[in-house]
Amino acid sequence: MSHHDKPAGRKSEGWEPKIVAIVCNWCTYAGADLAGISRIQYPPNVRIIRVPCTGRINPFYVVKVLQAGADGVLVSGCHPGECHYISGNLSARRKFATLKSFLNYIGIEDGRTTFTWVSASEGERFAQVVKAVTERVKALGPATKLVKKLRDADVAVAK
Amino acid sequence: MEKVEKKLREEAKKLLAEKKVDVVVGYEAGTLPLTATPVFITAPEEADRLVWNAFCHHNLAKYVHDLISANRDSQKRLKPEDRKRKVVGVVTKGCTSRSLVIHLQERQYERLDLSILGVPCTGYVDRRALAEKLGGEEILEGSLDGANLKIRTASGEKTIAVKDVLAANCVTCRFNNPVISDVMLGEPAPAMNPAAEYAEIDEFEKLSPEERWAYFQKEMAKCIRCAACRQACPSCYCRTCFAEQSMPQWVGISEDPSDTQVFQFMRMYHMVGRCVDCGSCVSVCPMGVDLRKFLKKLDKDCFVLFNQRAGEKIDFPAPLQDQRMDDKEDFIFNPGGGH
Repeated sequence: MSHHDKPAGRKSEGWEPKIVAIVCNWCTYAGADLAGISRIQYPPNVRIIRVPCTGRINPFYVVKVLQAGADGVLVSGCHPGECHYISGNLSARRKFATLKSFLNYIGIEDGRTTFTWVSASEGERFAQVVKAVTERVKALGPATKLVKKLRDADVAVAK
Repeated sequence: MEKVEKKLREEAKKLLAEKKVDVVVGYEAGTLPLTATPVFITAPEEADRLVWNAFCHHNLAKYVHDLISANRDSQKRLKPEDRKRKVVGVVTKGCTSRSLVIHLQERQYERLDLSILGVPCTGYVDRRALAEKLGGEEILEGSLDGANLKIRTASGEKTIAVKDVLAANCVTCRFNNPVISDVMLGEPAPAMNPAAEYAEIDEFEKLSPEERWAYFQKEMAKCIRCAACRQACPSCYCRTCFAEQSMPQWVGISEDPSDTQVFQFMRMYHMVGRCVDCGSCVSVCPMGVDLRKFLKKLDKDCFVLFNQRAGEKIDFPAPLQDQRMDDKEDFIFNPGGGH
């Protein structure tokens, strides 16, 4: 098998998914912090990007993350009604409802993208979410759709 | 149709003579048989060039936006009190009117900048469907005879019913009349077959994700990224398109298929609650990419989730400008259920 077909070494035995979590500063990031302070264990597969509010997340972030080769994307913010900026998460909810539906429609697996709410007091829930998302993505295997593969081809040529 | 055309010319002439509008954007007969092309009429005596028939497929809202923003830009250095409004008269069918509503919702210009000449629409002829019916033969001469097209090609005379070559978006259209107008020319047209509007989408949704992905890949592989779809789309009016931004560079310029897929995906996703299904992108695509299969899904979602159709109501915020506490959130992930 050439490097062009599959991203090198990703389907091997010890494969661990890479999950990008885009979370809001006021709720989920604090929730993740609480999970840390409380020493709650959760899988280390998640890379966290902190943004001021879920309303600030350009839907393009999610698509770019998928294109860059992440196996899963998690977006999380304050529960509806608890937004620091009053309604940022409500705008985000409309954007993500349509974004997820459209991603599913073109054939991206449902488990690749996850949207949820975790408040600052829900450290336990944050760990639970990350665990569940990691399991879901693991079951799906490495991402192949929408992923930019040219980089791997370049590596192959360089070799 | 002829009656509407006559009234349209009279009305345009009147508006221009009374200086109520600076320009009328409409359609004139194209240089090839059975075509129409956009025209900008600025003098009353030119108004007789206007036509209204089954070949008028362009969404003229695009030109309205271009004209008004160009006029505004040209007066940037003038004192506000010296600036002049450019009033644009526009021949408006159902889809064009919804695009105008979207522009107004998005505060691109004011209602006062427009004079809307509403026309009833019974659908337009799809150039590709017609070419297919003729087996690719060149149309030497053609005329519209009631509900039929009379065509002469190298192999002889042919009669084709207009309803057999209507564009896919027209066949299931529910907005055959403009949703807003200053003057309505002619009797309102009946709706087509809106009940079957989402039939194609429902069918596609039933396929497995792998089948859908295969179809998406196949269609996007045709795309040469000429951006004709964007240029023709009345909702694509950003000064700098995300596709051309370099800081950050949203869309890669490599030949990797994912770059094209991401460009198309995001251009289409920008149309949530903004695509009026006018068919402009489809009709200008040189590669025949099945864009409607995807764009119509956004329209369906918008209706299912937010109970709104793009550009339907003028005194209502657009779906993604608005939000409700009780919006549907079945897609929200909830491990262990509830919190």
